[in-house]
Amino acid sequence: MSKRRPYVRSKSGWWKKDPYYVEYMVHESTALFVAAYAIVLTIGTVCLAAGEAAWNGYLEAMKSPLSIIFHLILLAAIVYHAFTWFKLFPLTTPPVVLGGKKLEPELIVRGGWVVAVGVAVVSFVIVWGLA
Amino acid sequence: MEIYKADVIIVGGGGAGLRAAIAVAESEPSLKIALVSKVYPMRSHTVSAEGGAAGVKRPDDSLEYHFHDTVGGGDWLCEQDVVEYFVEQAPIELTRIEHWGCPWSRAADGHVNVRPFGGMKIQRTWFAADKSGFHILHTLFQTSIKYPSIKRFDEYFCVDLLEEDGRCQGVVAIEMATGEFTMIEGKTVILATGGAGRVFRESTLGGIVTGDGMALAFRHGVALRDMEFMQYHPTCMPITGLLFTEACRGEGGYLVNKDGYRYLQDYGLGPLQDKPKNKYMELGPRDRLSQAFWHEQQKGRTIEHPVFGSVVHLDMRHLGEAYLRERLPLIYEMAETFMGIDPAKDPIPVRPGIHYTMGGIKVDGKCETSLPGLYAIGECASVGIHGANRLGSNSLTELLVFGKQAGDEAAARARSVAPGNSASLQKQAEAAEERVLALKNKTGTERISAIRKEMVKSMEDGCGIYRLEETMRQTCDKLAELRERFKNISLDDKTSVWNTEWLNAIELDYQLDVAQSMAHSAIERRESRGAHQRLDGPDGAYTQRDDVNFLKHSEAYYVPDSAPRIDYGDVKITKSPPAARVYGAAGEQADAERNASHV
Amino acid sequence: MSEQKIIEIEILRYLPESDQEPRSEIYKVPFTDDMSVLQGVQYIKDNFDGSLTFRWSCRMAICGSCGMMINGIPKLACENFIRDYYPKRITVEALNNFPIEKDLVVDLSGFIEKLEAIQPYIIPKEPRTVEQGEYIQTPAQFSEYIQFTSCINCTLCYAACPQVGLDPDFIGPGAMALLYRYNRDSRDGGEAQRMEVAASTEGVFVCGATGYCSEVCPKKVDPGNAVNVNKINAAKDYFLRFLSPKGGAK
Repeated sequence: MSKRRPYVRSKSGWWKKDPYYVEYMVHESTALFVAAYAIVLTIGTVCLAAGEAAWNGYLEAMKSPLSIIFHLILLAAIVYHAFTWFKLFPLTTPPVVLGGKKLEPELIVRGGWVVAVGVAVVSFVIVWGLA
Repeated sequence: MEIYKADVIIVGGGGAGLRAAIAVAESEPSLKIALVSKVYPMRSHTVSAEGGAAGVKRPDDSLEYHFHDTVGGGDWLCEQDVVEYFVEQAPIELTRIEHWGCPWSRAADGHVNVRPFGGMKIQRTWFAADKSGFHILHTLFQTSIKYPSIKRFDEYFCVDLLEEDGRCQGVVAIEMATGEFTMIEGKTVILATGGAGRVFRESTLGGIVTGDGMALAFRHGVALRDMEFMQYHPTCMPITGLLFTEACRGEGGYLVNKDGYRYLQDYGLGPLQDKPKNKYMELGPRDRLSQAFWHEQQKGRTIEHPVFGSVVHLDMRHLGEAYLRERLPLIYEMAETFMGIDPAKDPIPVRPGIHYTMGGIKVDGKCETSLPGLYAIGECASVGIHGANRLGSNSLTELLVFGKQAGDEAAARARSVAPGNSASLQKQAEAAEERVLALKNKTGTERISAIRKEMVKSMEDGCGIYRLEETMRQTCDKLAELRERFKNISLDDKTSVWNTEWLNAIELDYQLDVAQSMAHSAIERRESRGAHQRLDGPDGAYTQRDDVNFLKHSEAYYVPDSAPRIDYGDVKITKSPPAARVYGAAGEQADAERNASHV
Repeated sequence: MSEQKIIEIEILRYLPESDQEPRSEIYKVPFTDDMSVLQGVQYIKDNFDGSLTFRWSCRMAICGSCGMMINGIPKLACENFIRDYYPKRITVEALNNFPIEKDLVVDLSGFIEKLEAIQPYIIPKEPRTVEQGEYIQTPAQFSEYIQFTSCINCTLCYAACPQVGLDPDFIGPGAMALLYRYNRDSRDGGEAQRMEVAASTEGVFVCGATGYCSEVCPKKVDPGNAVNVNKINAAKDYFLRFLSPKGGAK
């Protein structure tokens, strides 16, 4: 008769036990803010389709102080999400070997930022030009 | 007691055991193989080997050269017919493991690269950076998974061999997770349990290197051969003994004393060379380099470090960081992590440490012991290729060559013999169980850690780099005393599940037997040869090699409750008559003379 | 010798034959600056309590035996030094996400089964005889896979991975790195077989990309990268199956 009695530790509250996990959970939950902003934009599109009055109402609503505060919160959360997402970038990209040497993870992260900021600036300029 | 019926049992899951298991599985897939190991195979000590494995590779090399390097390196105490077989099989086996996925380092053209190593005339050491043993072990372990006929008993601790009708027919093992006993019946048994260097204090070795298989065979009447020859590796980390591979020197590292002087030129290894030159300076054999350290220490020319004690410097600064990181990544990491040293900026303090058991279970050229059906391979065996001093990188190759051979032999034998008498084997197994359980329940006063501490200290004092009759005698006496005191041990842990204190006690029991075989073989060898160097004798007679009286293998036989009996056996000489063992310029001259006499 | 100091080491003990559940015990251990956490634990076993149980062997971070949670982080006890924690107390616990057998020893059988499941051996693309000599591997081909051969099976990455804790059947980072190692080896032709395991329900898609596995890896294998790149490969295989007459890698 075996005297083995392996003990399985509980996993409850696992994500609070290491700063690494906390950051991961915050990162994952900020994805909800990305979704929230997508909803805001979708509503805008719907209003645009519904005619000028609806669209103007939407624009008015966007200008309210509550909406601005809401957007600032969204911006902060999405920037954090982007920051932590780029941090994981090297984890998810296939190893890039250049001249027999593996590309440094730092470079991959920076590359991600360069592209993201570049796209943001270009979009902004286009929109500004249109406006 | 659990009973398992196998055809071939292999004890030890390191390089040799795994290679043997694969050989059996390939030669006869219907044979059931039991691979018993006290650790998961990839933890076995093969994992720590760094430098590489020797096998002729380059067009300017030859089997003949490898043979002569090995026999000369072993100070002519090698079985020369076995060495011939070994050097012939070496490149074949090293290629085979390449096919299995071993990531040997490559030259720019995509072929396997070779590096220089101590005592080797031409560079012929195949290497996987400085983790050659790690890669060989993992390749073999992973390859072994392919064969369904290999049943592994991982974390099973072997406590006895079963013998019936004059044949070895099984083993008894403890399942470590439960503390329960299992009897494994088999038609043949291969021991591949590794060395015994942990009977010394400062060693490069893992905690598991406790000579288990040697003691098991010894207690069953098989001789332990050439046990006095223990290899000191010249470049180890002080205190821990961790290894800085010979490849550090093969790649161009220097050894310097406190004056920054490359002292090896004073010990028959010169003249000075800028670049690594085979068989010169830092690429001399290990025994000579360790002995040179001792002399430097006597002359007061070593560096006295406040924490490390006497050391010399391994200087690799001139090789540059990029090269070191590519060729010696593990060494780089170890220097940084364990010593806080950047080897590209500072020299590494090193000193000799125990590294390898040249002797072992006496086997013939086919790896079979005097007990029919029992084979031994790898460091636990003495098949006869290392003689009085092993050349670096011969032992990894040995695992493959003789693992394969023993596997083939044991498989052939297993096909031809009938199964044994289970009832009778079980009785023996039960007796073994009772004996081993009694050890756990002893109620004495001695702590095993205390006995172990005294043993390793005494071995270092008596059986170090240089030896004296008087201190060896003290060691023999000490070991006899510890044997007595061992009878009076008491363990804190009397439980069954994962009782490592109990297993450590069984290991200590093995170690004491093996240590006695070493010390008694050493005191009886009244000459100096290879790694056995004496400072005594009438008019210093024992400081010289004595081929008249001691061109012989020592053989230690177990005597219950007493010191071992030491006997002697002949050395097989085929084509290399004993000659002066010289290196550096003198070595080159001797080679030239030998070649001239052949013409 | 350097001056002797005392460190407190708190160990989560569990003796299955007498404890209902794990409990903490604190030991005061004299140490010198060269002592590793492993040596501290050994000191306790040798001098205070022989029943303290842990795995160890090589002492040089290559055998992979001595993984433990040290102050909550999975580490090899042999290559972490007491001096770096002093004067604070060191806590030591068995590796997370594995059942505890006794004290610091965990049940590794599940991990070993996962290793076996991914077919970690060369399935030759073009079989070769020994007489034909070695396979040729250019430096570029070599650098494709060499990083992923460095795994020592220490299972620190399993202790770090929250998904392994939540779904014990997840193949996990270490085994997936080994799978990837063989798939990328120019000698191998077994990718299709292995990708079945990678794409299975216990394969790569269980991973939530925490990235902690790669962070704790003592050999810089970056197993998290192997897992995540295989997500791409598995997805590619899935879609190619619809497009190509031969059906992706299969």
